[in-house]
Amino acid sequence: MAVDFIAERDLQRCLNLLRRQGEVHAPLRDTDGMVRFGPLPTGVLPDLTAVRTLLPPKKYLLHPRETILFYQAGSGYQLPSGDVPRLILFGLHPCDLAGINYLDQVFLGNEPDPLYAARRAALTLIGTSCAPDQFCSCHLRPSPLTASCDLFLQQIGGGFVVSCGSSRGVELLETVTELIQERELTPPADTRSFFGQQLPPPPRSELDPALPDWQNLAEQCLGCGACSICCPTCCCFDVLESGGLDGSSAERWRRWDNCLFKSHAQVAGGASFQKDRTQRFRYRYRHKYRGFGQLKRLPSCVGCGRCRAVCPAGLDLRPLAERLEGCAP
Amino acid sequence: MNTNLPAAATITSVRRLTADTSLFTLACNDRDAALELSSFQPGQFLELSLPGFGEIPISYCGLPSACGAIELCIRHVGHVTSPLRRAGPGDAVGLRGPFGHGFPLDGYENQDLLLIAGGLGMAPLRSLLLALLDQRSRWGNLTLLYGARETGALLFLDELLDLTKRSDIRIQLAVDRREQCLEGPPNCRVALLPALLDGLAIQPEHTCAALCGPPVVYAYLVAGLKQLGLSGNRIHLSLERRMKCGIGRCGHCAVGSFLCCSDGPVFSLTQLQGIEGALA
Repeated sequence: MAVDFIAERDLQRCLNLLRRQGEVHAPLRDTDGMVRFGPLPTGVLPDLTAVRTLLPPKKYLLHPRETILFYQAGSGYQLPSGDVPRLILFGLHPCDLAGINYLDQVFLGNEPDPLYAARRAALTLIGTSCAPDQFCSCHLRPSPLTASCDLFLQQIGGGFVVSCGSSRGVELLETVTELIQERELTPPADTRSFFGQQLPPPPRSELDPALPDWQNLAEQCLGCGACSICCPTCCCFDVLESGGLDGSSAERWRRWDNCLFKSHAQVAGGASFQKDRTQRFRYRYRHKYRGFGQLKRLPSCVGCGRCRAVCPAGLDLRPLAERLEGCAP
Repeated sequence: MNTNLPAAATITSVRRLTADTSLFTLACNDRDAALELSSFQPGQFLELSLPGFGEIPISYCGLPSACGAIELCIRHVGHVTSPLRRAGPGDAVGLRGPFGHGFPLDGYENQDLLLIAGGLGMAPLRSLLLALLDQRSRWGNLTLLYGARETGALLFLDELLDLTKRSDIRIQLAVDRREQCLEGPPNCRVALLPALLDGLAIQPEHTCAALCGPPVVYAYLVAGLKQLGLSGNRIHLSLERRMKCGIGRCGHCAVGSFLCCSDGPVFSLTQLQGIEGALA
């Protein structure tokens, strides 16, 4: 079949052409050895061999801490104003694209979140293929979440097979036409094929708190919350407000919250609805594999493997999920 | 109205109900917001903002009102409700709502109704009670059981004592303990709230129960109601959880696969059956 192909040696030129459309951010290996999404300096190539970044791209859509409202006596609460700069995320793996698909469903569903919607509209997603490692489970369990993006660059020997996923992608492709070669080849299936699958929904039954697994896992869990911070679909947020020193202004912000923290379910007066760690552990499990609220019965684990890679206690939910959900997670 | 943006409102009056609880009456500054925020079902809630301190979920306590006045009964215990103790008429607040699902009034048509409130749970049930009394002919027998720690903690006692003069409602109060210096109201027993269900004459096949109270009391009340023969789909409970956003997004208030803010806060017992921690 005829495919659009960009040679590896042209990647730098390709990125330079893309830069005209917005700031390019991509995975970069830092001096500490960690790979992070960050602004790609001119002349530097992204690390396209890294399996995962420390934080998923959710940090671009939901900042770890961000102002969501300003208050001024007389004019009341106001949404933040100002343009959101156009940003091109380059090198997103299918799992991270599926993570963004999940966040879109949470934040762009009924009553779209204005901040998220503005940032999402300014974001161009360029995916790349990857080779799963021992922590990944994207290739073991299909997901109903879609790995859609504007452009996808499938890595094959010597370059990339390029495909468009949106009209924005078609426009972008036109900006790099000079680098496109037409090739006759049949690209092998990559992990994209595991996403966007129609699956039997998770069981309706409630999780059995009496299962000894909860206790076993919770006893080893340090409650550090790293698994949730680095999860592409964990999006709990806390909302806080502080008054200005002038006495007439205030600022409300939201920040990432974590269901493994005691404070997560605590209400005024100190009562908590998730007092012990086993409960909090189940809360997280329920969200990842069963879903709740408007997205109930939509599993949100995209198999990126970050939670397993970062857990200081080496915890792995896969064997339990395999048993409870009836297929390999 | 933008559900993400609090509408400007003003406190019009404050009435101290007990040492730690006040009834606030609010008015929206904008007519459209007033219309939207004062069209609610008893049991629904709104998000109240106090500038400089934050936002909290509070149940509606009054009647849906054509003039847009909104009544909220607030206990001063939290990071927003404590500074609200100092707030007074003319002070600015923000409101978003109404959110969630309230008590299923249409399903209550022609039914005998049993309202059971514990402590601050009287706040949302006052809204329900006023709505029921407002259209009294739509329902059968009306009973309110209300318990508090002590006589001085009984909310809206003056209103409730007034209601006891009516023949179309039965009211029974209970206090855990009675202060020595205070004489209790006439229909008030020293007992725990669930004890009021002992021997209560109801027709379970024609009765619906609406409950709101501290989480600890639900299991006992449900056991008592089952003893009286009430089925799970006739028992509705208003749950309290940490509802930060009110629109099913912040992820704090899951009860099993439900979110308290968008699927509740009023659930039938049948919905909650088998869900860990729903009633405790």
